Amino acid sequence: MLAVPVHRILNREPKDACPDGVRDDGNQGEKPMSQNLHQRKIGRRTFLGATVAGAAMAGGLAPARLSAANKTVKIGFLAPLTGPVSAWGLPGLYGCRIWAEQVNAAGGVRIGDDSYNVEFVSYDNEYATDKAKVGASQLVFDEGVKFIMMLGGDTWPGVQRISNESGMLVSTLLPSDLSPDTPNLIAPCEVHPIYNVTGVSWLADNMPELKTAVICAQDDALGRPSVATYLAAFEAHGIQSEDPVFFSLETTDFAPVMTKLLSSNPDILCLDTAYADFVHPLCEQAHQQGFKGKIISCTADYYEQIIEKTSKEFMEGFIFQFPDFDDPALNEPQINFAAPNEFYAEYIERWPDQWSAVSWEYASIMDLWVQGAQRAGSVEPQDVLAGMKQGGTGKHAFGEASWWGKELFGIDNALVGNWPVVVIENGKAVIKEYRSIPDWWSMHGNLLVKHFTEMGEMYHQRG
Amino acid sequence: MTELLLQTCVNAVYAASFMALIAVGLMLIFGVMGVVNFAHGELFMLGAYCVVFVYADREFPFFLAVMIGLVFVGGLGILMERALFRPVRDNPLAGLIASIGLLLMLQAAIAMGFGVRMEHLPPPSQATFHLFGLDGVVVALQRLYVIVGAGIVLVSLWLFLRRTRFGWALRACAQDPEAAALQGISINGTARLAMFIAAAMAGVAGALAAPLVRTYPYMGHSVIVTAFIVTIVGGLGSLGGAVVAAILYGFVHTFVTTFSDGVVADIVGLLLMLFVLVLRPTGLLGVRERD
Amino acid sequence: MQERNGWGYRATLAAVFVGLIVLPHVLSFSQKEVLVFLVINVLVVVSYRLLTLTGEWSLAHMVIVGVGAYASTLLAKRLGIPVPLAMPLGAVVAALTAYVLSFPLFRMKAFYFLIGSFAAGEVIRLCWKRFREPFGGPKGIKLVPSFPDIEIGFVDVSFFDPVNYYYFCLIVVTVSLVLLHRFEHSRIGLTFHAIHWQDKLAEAVGGDTRRYRTLAFVIASFFGGLAGALLAHYLGTVNPNQFDVEAMVYVLVWVIVGGTATIYGPVVGVVTLTVVNEIVLRELGMDQARPLLYGAILIASILFLPDGLESLGPKLKGAFARTRTQV
Repeated sequence: MLAVPVHRILNREPKDACPDGVRDDGNQGEKPMSQNLHQRKIGRRTFLGATVAGAAMAGGLAPARLSAANKTVKIGFLAPLTGPVSAWGLPGLYGCRIWAEQVNAAGGVRIGDDSYNVEFVSYDNEYATDKAKVGASQLVFDEGVKFIMMLGGDTWPGVQRISNESGMLVSTLLPSDLSPDTPNLIAPCEVHPIYNVTGVSWLADNMPELKTAVICAQDDALGRPSVATYLAAFEAHGIQSEDPVFFSLETTDFAPVMTKLLSSNPDILCLDTAYADFVHPLCEQAHQQGFKGKIISCTADYYEQIIEKTSKEFMEGFIFQFPDFDDPALNEPQINFAAPNEFYAEYIERWPDQWSAVSWEYASIMDLWVQGAQRAGSVEPQDVLAGMKQGGTGKHAFGEASWWGKELFGIDNALVGNWPVVVIENGKAVIKEYRSIPDWWSMHGNLLVKHFTEMGEMYHQRG
Repeated sequence: MTELLLQTCVNAVYAASFMALIAVGLMLIFGVMGVVNFAHGELFMLGAYCVVFVYADREFPFFLAVMIGLVFVGGLGILMERALFRPVRDNPLAGLIASIGLLLMLQAAIAMGFGVRMEHLPPPSQATFHLFGLDGVVVALQRLYVIVGAGIVLVSLWLFLRRTRFGWALRACAQDPEAAALQGISINGTARLAMFIAAAMAGVAGALAAPLVRTYPYMGHSVIVTAFIVTIVGGLGSLGGAVVAAILYGFVHTFVTTFSDGVVADIVGLLLMLFVLVLRPTGLLGVRERD
Repeated sequence: MQERNGWGYRATLAAVFVGLIVLPHVLSFSQKEVLVFLVINVLVVVSYRLLTLTGEWSLAHMVIVGVGAYASTLLAKRLGIPVPLAMPLGAVVAALTAYVLSFPLFRMKAFYFLIGSFAAGEVIRLCWKRFREPFGGPKGIKLVPSFPDIEIGFVDVSFFDPVNYYYFCLIVVTVSLVLLHRFEHSRIGLTFHAIHWQDKLAEAVGGDTRRYRTLAFVIASFFGGLAGALLAHYLGTVNPNQFDVEAMVYVLVWVIVGGTATIYGPVVGVVTLTVVNEIVLRELGMDQARPLLYGAILIASILFLPDGLESLGPKLKGAFARTRTQV
């Protein structure tokens, strides 16, 4: 794990190990791709690199060969890299490294009249508010980055004032950070938890016989708005729901939680946006305590391991929202994430067992940033923001999407469009269809507002 | 309703056994060395990672992995005693800092070696059976391992303390180190033994529970705080007290979780402990104060 | 101590002050931010040390700091009280909270007190999480009013600028430190030391130890709460995770590694360890290995300097004196 070239990200002067394609003969960017990798794995990597570089070019990025004259644009990565929340940051940084290598090997990004190589500057905020503030200062004022990607949550409020005063564009994975006071904060990838409605609406269409549900969630900034969303979706589709059950983040034993949940004999067990670490034991407990209905959840990272812990039959028909990146349905033409299958292969090759949703999310935000910068012809934060929002639409990973959020977050800084509904069939996650979030919203938006209000999650209710 | 109550009792017995394994060890370290071992949760974590390494990655039998966890973590305990706690024996605060330093190192080392994501552990056994033949009362074999494991370890520890000379020395040191030294008991030898037993217990708890809990580098965090409270409420210098407090906490927490919710259970658990301490400022079965 | 009035002592003090005033102008922007938090943490550790003088080690101090932060925030945000006034009021609320807590807690001693204080603090913290009104729940309170900018004629001082807030904190913290120092060397303060060394003895000579313990707890909490208020209005947010047991562990580490015999000990501890962790290790690019090295440094420092970094000075002096006599 230490072989990861940390210095590449952190050093202020690019070292010669930097795989930016400068010394390459311009042919597919093979050699630099592999320079800082383990020697023994070069063969396969080189092949992959070439494929991916080609795919990236096809995906609308700038042509190669200009690399010698490239400028460098710095992008900040401000997320937890150590500590208990690091699983929400570190795998994303890995994804960004692959993204940067691919893009730089392909000759960088063409913005306006210049070509840029992308360099990530990371700062470990340890998920602490004060360290996030220090980190934002360093990235904005000392490093001169043009864009910062964050996990958000506890760490965003520490950055808010710096972003507002400096005009720095910042992205978050948690749209509950959005409010009318955050003009420079965008949620361009994951509009959590709104997309969860797609799973429920699919369930209601395809399994109309299921009529009662229970919800459990960890009591935190991820769990609560998600509960409101599921309650709204259940109500919209005529499914009766019991009062949600909250558990604390320190829970190690899920038997009591499950006993409580199953005591009302529900048809549907909703795991809300439980962290992967909770989904596994919850499913295991549901299996052990004899649950026979269907499970719906936001995530199911490593679902094959859950199957191993329960059974194929038990997990059949498990509905969630995050596809495998080797799913062939991701190659459909409307998908904007460049070469997802290859990206996934490269990732698990390099960091086995470290793949999760955040692995691709930060990288997909970078695709959107590139699009915004190209539209604006500039890398300056405010220009890029204007470019991103130009025409009110943007290229989301899962297809064309529009900027939205006024009613729920007080600001149209969340990018929503289609989101995949994924179902486990015969032990494998399959994208059943892409459902439109805006369509659902236009029909049932009032219910979402109602439940957000009851849960105290509307932007004007949050401190 | 009966089934729900019975199932909750089963859950509570598991929670209590699990907690007792950790709290008794913590108590032993404190009793003999006067050190608050903040790294105890990380010993638990290492036990779980022994299972990851030996059983999940190398595919050796589960119980072999548990034994390796016991020996490895126990050995690490001996090392800790020699390298960290012995040099600062007269200074409990220094011991505390040393254990915090070790905690940070172990977390970072495991995070770098295994990654920050949760580890995958295929379950050694998926068997479950129904208590009293009731459909709604399920006991999983894997949980029974923890309950039985805790029973075996605690009973053998009790016999060891009562029946052997080592045990006598250990108890003497836990009650009054200076008097014990005057009696000719080797403080170093006893401390080493105590540290081995305590670490091995944490290692076994981690190893047995690894397939049941989320195994990740920072998992020690979630057990250490509860373990401290249980230890203190039980009363320092009293192994029995630690067990009683573990049972009390296990039942209260489990029942409140089932009939209210987990967050309330945390608050109620803490208030209960505070209440016990206000009524009995030296813990349930505490025999002395230590300063 | 006898040097206190000497010229050398005064010159050193003056030099330190000049250094502190010049310091932010030689640092990078993010280092200035670290400096602000560092100055606030100095008040946290020094106030904590006052409590430890009586021999009790509390694990609730960070929560008390949080009480100051929450109280000052709510007073300013909900009741519209001006921030400069809300800050000391927040500190008063923290002191009152400590007073209430002292009733159950001072029935316990030593390690029972340690864990009892932890449980009490954790109950308060969980209440912040649980009761969204008025505490904001797990996400806490955002958009805390910041310290008002000062505009007098041409002078426009913005406290968004870390340098200005640093000077403000430096003044508040210096005044607090002088007060704490005076207090420690007053008759009451000396009784604290006595209580630490011998409970019974102090009682025999007429000190009601519990009353003194309570007094130490309340005063320590006042200054801790003040530190919390300074933090909240700079950071712009308060949330329960900022004051969790992990944060408390860091305070313990700073205080113990620094040493508690003198008021300088904790200051040296927090400054050294913060510089090592936030500046040196980060500059070395040790993203994931940072806790590993930090842990190793803690262990090394406690094994080689069990009485804290503060004992390094006299030791060096002693070694120096020995070599001189040998020559």
